Amino acid sequence: MTNEVLVELNNVGVAFSAQRRLGAGNRFWALEDVSVTLRRGERLGVIGRNGAGKSTLLRVIAGILTPDRGTVRRGPVSCQLLSLALGFTAHLSGRDNAVLSGLMLGLRRREIMQRLAAIHEFSELGDFFDQPIAAYSSGMMMRLAFSVAIQVEPDVLLIDEVLAVGDAEFQEKSGAALRARMGEGHTVVLVSHDEKQIAALCDRVLWVEHGKSVLEGARDTVFEAYHRDLHLVGATA
Amino acid sequence: MRQHLIELVLFSTYAELRAERSRSYLGLIWWVVDPLMQFGVWWLLMDVILHTAGPGYLPSLLIGLTLWQWMKSCMIHGGYAIWSNLNLVRQVNLPPLVFPIVAMLSDTVKFLYILAVLLVILWCSGYPPSLAYLSLLPLFVVAFLLSAGIGFVIAALVPLLPDLRFVIEQVLNVVMYLSGVVFLLSNVPSPLRDILALNPIAVIMDAARGILMQGLWPNWVGLTKAALISLVACAIGYWVVARLAPRYPKLAT
Repeated sequence: MTNEVLVELNNVGVAFSAQRRLGAGNRFWALEDVSVTLRRGERLGVIGRNGAGKSTLLRVIAGILTPDRGTVRRGPVSCQLLSLALGFTAHLSGRDNAVLSGLMLGLRRREIMQRLAAIHEFSELGDFFDQPIAAYSSGMMMRLAFSVAIQVEPDVLLIDEVLAVGDAEFQEKSGAALRARMGEGHTVVLVSHDEKQIAALCDRVLWVEHGKSVLEGARDTVFEAYHRDLHLVGATA
Repeated sequence: MRQHLIELVLFSTYAELRAERSRSYLGLIWWVVDPLMQFGVWWLLMDVILHTAGPGYLPSLLIGLTLWQWMKSCMIHGGYAIWSNLNLVRQVNLPPLVFPIVAMLSDTVKFLYILAVLLVILWCSGYPPSLAYLSLLPLFVVAFLLSAGIGFVIAALVPLLPDLRFVIEQVLNVVMYLSGVVFLLSNVPSPLRDILALNPIAVIMDAARGILMQGLWPNWVGLTKAALISLVACAIGYWVVARLAPRYPKLAT
């Protein structure tokens, strides 16, 4: 891990309008005050209760949401949220959807073409790969979606809960592929409810509560404070 | 980054056309039959029932409808494109203008098919090709830029004001009647004709008819003015979309 800072958020807040209006209506702050620094090679886990603002935070880091207050400093790096089935169109073949989804996820066309065979193989779709995905079962669709998404190689990979999809066998395979990808030295931000997953995959942890960053630091230190807060220290020890 | 966006726009355009073709039973044929049916309605009304069609009216009508259909679909499909892709806007960091541009390009490809049919009909009706055809390219570029500019402005506003959709089609119908699509500007009495001639769409219609029917070069001064108005419309559309872009990912569909 180097000390090169890729993304830095300072006192970031994001407000959503309660109503769809041209002018600013009633607003609520999904993120109120979050500061975090992400360095190259770091694997940062984000924990917090439901509605704490974890997913909103990922979308800020990805550059999808612009903060309403605070600052985001991003180096010349690509940050990609790992989204499944991005841009999937029912009447197109699995192959065309793989190209379209890959382009949406930031891959160049020639990169996708080079990886199409790998996508085809990983998805286990066989001849269905050239059929319209309207004919797919939901399981087949998720296999294709995951097989494309796992190919992306941004500087910062942002993952929101989607660690494994499909039936039990494919879940194991997709989970393993993602863990392997995270272990390759990429910079990763992982949001998950599954503490075991974060404990196994991340070196540092950010704890977010009510839209505010409570604590950021080494995994064990943050988990300990988090559990103390949840009154779970005794139960999980 | 720019090359990646070009690849994305081109492949999305291909995907959109391909998906549309396979969505309906007759697919591609509708692209041509649809405007011909519209032409049939106007022919029935203006020629058969009202007997107002003079010599050369029918080819003029066909040219007007073909061009207008293309421009209108660019404005409408482009105009709804950000709104209908809000689920993507929320998941991926892309310039929102990608979506209207894809919609407009796929409508332009469809227009080229219809244009080919139009040209064959004109040639068979005694309006042969001429050297003035060379000016069709700049004319179409101006028509595209004007539609794109208007489409961008609509695209910027519809996500925040979806109710606009109920008004836009009616407004565009009024625009069609004021732009000499179904009648010839030369048939309009003088003071009103001068006012209508300020409308860049009317200038485009007039120029297209001159080129395709009489082999006349367009009025370059008029076309340049229309081009400037189109560029201003594009700049305004770009600016409004850029200004409102941070709000789109926060909208619910």
